[in-house]
Order: sequence, then structure tokens, then C-alpha cells
Amino acid sequence: MLELRDITRAYELGGERAGVFGVSIEVPKGCLAVIAGPSGSGKTTLLQVAGLLDPPDEGEVRLHGEPVSRLPERARCDLRLRRLGFVFQAFNLVPVLSALENTMLPLQLQGLAEPEARRRAEAALDRVGLADRRHHRPGQLSGGQQQRVAIARALAPDPLLVLADEPTASLDHAHGGPLMDLMADLARERGTAFLVASHDPAVIARADRVFRLADGRLAEAP
Amino acid sequence: MILARLALRNLLRQRRRTALTLMVVVAGFLALSLAGGFMAQTFQGLSDAAIRGGLGHLQVLPAGNLDGDEAQSLERSLPDGESLAARLRQDPAVAEVLPRIQFMGLLSSGPRSVAFLGTAVDPVREPRFMACLDAVKNGATAPGGAGSHWLSTDASAREVILGAGLARSLGASVGSSLTLMSTTKDGALNALDVEVVGLQDLGLKELNDRVLTVSLATASQLLDAGPARSRLSIVLRHPGDTAREQARLQALLPGTALKPWFELASFYRQVKLLYVAIFGFMGLVLFLVVLLATANTLLMSVMERIREFGVLRAMGLQPGQLLSLLQWEGAFLGLMGSALGLTATLLLRAGLNALHLQMPAPPGTSHGYELDIHFVPLVYLAVALGLQATLQVSALFPGLKAARLRIVEALRHV
Repeated sequence: MLELRDITRAYELGGERAGVFGVSIEVPKGCLAVIAGPSGSGKTTLLQVAGLLDPPDEGEVRLHGEPVSRLPERARCDLRLRRLGFVFQAFNLVPVLSALENTMLPLQLQGLAEPEARRRAEAALDRVGLADRRHHRPGQLSGGQQQRVAIARALAPDPLLVLADEPTASLDHAHGGPLMDLMADLARERGTAFLVASHDPAVIARADRVFRLADGRLAEAP
Repeated sequence: MILARLALRNLLRQRRRTALTLMVVVAGFLALSLAGGFMAQTFQGLSDAAIRGGLGHLQVLPAGNLDGDEAQSLERSLPDGESLAARLRQDPAVAEVLPRIQFMGLLSSGPRSVAFLGTAVDPVREPRFMACLDAVKNGATAPGGAGSHWLSTDASAREVILGAGLARSLGASVGSSLTLMSTTKDGALNALDVEVVGLQDLGLKELNDRVLTVSLATASQLLDAGPARSRLSIVLRHPGDTAREQARLQALLPGTALKPWFELASFYRQVKLLYVAIFGFMGLVLFLVVLLATANTLLMSVMERIREFGVLRAMGLQPGQLLSLLQWEGAFLGLMGSALGLTATLLLRAGLNALHLQMPAPPGTSHGYELDIHFVPLVYLAVALGLQATLQVSALFPGLKAARLRIVEALRHV
């Protein structure tokens, strides 16, 4: 479903060359895959390349067998909108919108009519257990609840792949574990692939596949 | 519509900053629309003064250009002006036709003689449409003006109304006997004794120092004019039709030149040009102030939301949509600012007009006037559209900045 072939994305950091170098991974449908590694190992860089946020210097990203990393910006935007979902460490919900409106946002950006967007967003919120919080603004929700809203927002458009960057890093263990359980359940029941960058053992423990990075290179075959 | 809703919510997020930005827009609207209302009052006053001061809406003149002296004599005139006037009065679009003779000469009071510019008018028809009685009323307050009244309707009466300055220079007052001297239509020198029946104040010192008014009968005798008239002032029933009636009536009056009042009122045109230049410059400065203030605010707002924009772009928002988002924010600021500005304008206008403030006399005029800021919807619309355009331009730079953000850098932004 997602293939990264020999990806290199390098940048200068403190006078040294950092990033990822020659990394190849594959994430099939319904798989919860984790990119693990210490800080600075290139997890986020690889996730950004996989999420079409940053083009690789070398190598190729393929979605459903189609090469997508060299597409024009407009086409990559459209792919992100319709095929990919994102979950960030700091939740990054739009603070002026309610949980429901945040979840509806990508659907409305796709051009869905408001009633349809509302119906799908409510279903997504219901699935992450926040139906009763849908009219709350992010500031009125706990960290765990905000991250659940972020997952609902990522899943509402029914994407092929959800990319999550350290989704549990801002949560305590009591919330991080259940959140990962939720992701694993969603991957199984919806067939959505998850690619998660994390160094949290609780996350790695729930992964179907683990890709370990060290100094920008794949340290261990999946 | 999601972008519009998001833009509105973003503005409400920083209420204090939005309120400060709105105050700039409102202040701009207020200044420009009040200035527009003041200009409208001034233009209205000047056009009324020109039309009711004797020009009428249209003037029938001898064909061809008249130079200074020709305009003040019967050298070139409408030879049968009275018949022409009678014919024009039959036209349904015409409310009245006022024949006039323009002449010049010397006015003597014993040893003192002063050059004058004279106007002969119909003492019956003229007061019905022109402000001549107002001028006499104003002149009554001048030294020696007590007892001022309008010209007698008796054709045999030989009376004159003097500009207050002209009377002062001759030491004349109401009741004085003076001698009018001028050349007849054929070039012979002629003189006529007249009695001062009134003084007039036309509002312009240069005019008050030179002008006098007599009846057509008096001027005809002095100038041996017969039915010849210098010009005919046409008062239309519907002043808004001036341009159309000019074209229509011109076709009926071959051998004459028909001119609208605004072509002849050079003072009106000059003041209008001056005001448009002054207030136009002021408007540009105000628009620039609004542009810079709002662009600064919107840019600050963008800088605070860089990570949020990164998230939106990651979710699939196109760069052009981010530009649109900022344009919506500018649009809402403009709409809200104009709505509040209009409300403030109407309230302040009502308050200022209720104070009956006296404005100082404009340059070259002899008395002030009461401030009456006009209600001018077209000006309000123009100001609103101008401000709206300014807000859209001011949102452009922040919008472009947002649209050009690199997603990965925006997501890292703290």
C-alpha cells in the first residue's frame, strides 16, 4: 500500500548532515507500523517524506503502486486531502473550531456538503468515544481527548494511510496506551494503514511492524 | 464557505486586536464620508449660488466666444432677445426665461466717479427664481443700506441697487441720487439719473465693489437697447435634465449658443477642482494608513498561526486556499468596518448638524455659512468599496506569506 524505496532526504543541522539515507520500507493495508528510534534518528523526516509533506532528495514514494513523491504540489495536496490523514504530537487542532467542526474540516475541504460531512464526522467522533464532547472547543478538552479528536479528523475522510508523529508524546501512560489500542483497532477494522513515528515502548509494543532508525538509516530489517 | 467561517472565527479569536483594526477602518470611513458630505454641501451651495445668482440652468448667448468687453456690452447681443424669451416660455420644459443686459460704465456721485459692471433684469420675473432679494436683504445690513428694497415694477422708475462696496466707495446710501454713464448700442455716450433704492451683498467682495442692478427699462433707455438682450437665463422645471434640454433647445435656437450653468460658473469649477484635489490627497493618505495598519495586524495574525497553517496545508489545503482564507479575513474586516463606519458617520453627522456650527467665510467671500454635512449614499458606497479594496490588498501580503510557507518548517514553528 505504502512503499518507500531507497529514500534519502538530507539537511544541515549544526554543521552536520542529518536526515534519512537510503531507507526502504513497506506498509501494507491495515498494518500499524512504527518507525522507532532515538531523537534525531530521522523518524519525523521519514514520516514527512511518506506523508508527501517534503519531497525526497532521492528515492521514491509509492501509494497503491503509483509513484507520488514527484507529483506537482497541487496533486500532492489533493492526495493528502483525500488519501492521507495526519496526527501530530501537539494535537494541532484548530482552536476556534469545535471537536465536530475540526473533524468536519477535511471533509468540507474535499467539497462534501455540510450534512454529509457532519454525519461522517459524528460517526468518526463516536468511534473514538467523543460523541458527547463534539461541541467542545480544543481548549475545553484534555490532552487525550484532543488527540482522539485528531484521530477522528484524520480518519473521517476514510484515508488509505494515517501518519502519526509521536502521538503519545504529549500524553501520560494512562492515555497513551488506550490511544494506541484505538489505532490498532481502527487499523484492523477499517483496513487503514498507520505509520507512526515514536520512541515510546508502549507504542512499539502494539505495532504490527517496527522499523528502527539510527542516524538516518534503517537499523534492523522489518 | 468553510474558509469564510474559519476566517470569521479567526477574527473573533483575537477580539481586542480585531477591535483595534476595526477602529482604524472606522476612523478612515468616518473621515472620508464626513469629508464627502462636507464637499457635497459646498458644491451644492456653490451650484445654488451660481444658478440662483443669475446663470439659471441654461444660458442663451450670442453665437461664438465673447471676450471680456463684449460680454459686458450690447456689441454682440441677441438682437430680438425679448421675442426669443417669449417663445422659450412656451416650451413645457422651461419654467421661466429671464432676459438680461450686461453693461458697464461710470457711476457718478458729484465729484466722484467709479467704474461699474451693470446687470439689467426684469424686476417682476427675476425675484421669482433668483436670489436677488436675498442679496438685497444681506445688503441692508451694510452701512447706508437701511431701507433697502427691490426695484420698482413701474417701467418709468429710474432706480438702481448698488453693491455694498460700490456704494461705500461713492459715499452713497439708500435714497442717494447718482448718474449712470455708458455707451449706447450704437457707441454714443449717454447718461441717466437714478435713485439708489437698495444695497446688495453678493457674498464676494470683488463683486460688491463693482456691481449694480437696474431694471431692463432703465438699461434700455440708457443703452438705447430696444429688444436686444445680452443673454437669456433659462430656468428648467427639472434641473436634472439640464444636459438633455441643452441639446434639445439648442436645435430650436439656431444662431445662438446655449450653455449649461456649470460651463459658465468658473468659480464653481475652480473650487470643485481644488476640493477634489485636497480631499483626494487626504483620501489617499487615509487609505494608505488603513492599508499599513491592517496589513500589519493581519501579518501579526499570520505569524501567530504559522503552525496552524502548516497543519492545514498538511491536511491538504492548497496554497491558494490559504490566500483565500486571508482574503476572507480582510473582507470581513472591511465589511464590519464599513458597517460600523457608516453607523458612526450617520450619528456624528446628525450630532454635528444639530450643533448649527458656523463655518468661517471661504476665501473671497464676505460671510460664513452654517455647517450642514450632507447625506450622500454614493460617497458612502465609494468609501466602503475603496476600504474594501484596501483591506483585500492589505491581506494580500500576509496571505502570500502564509501560502508560501514550507509545510515541514511551519509544523516545526514554535
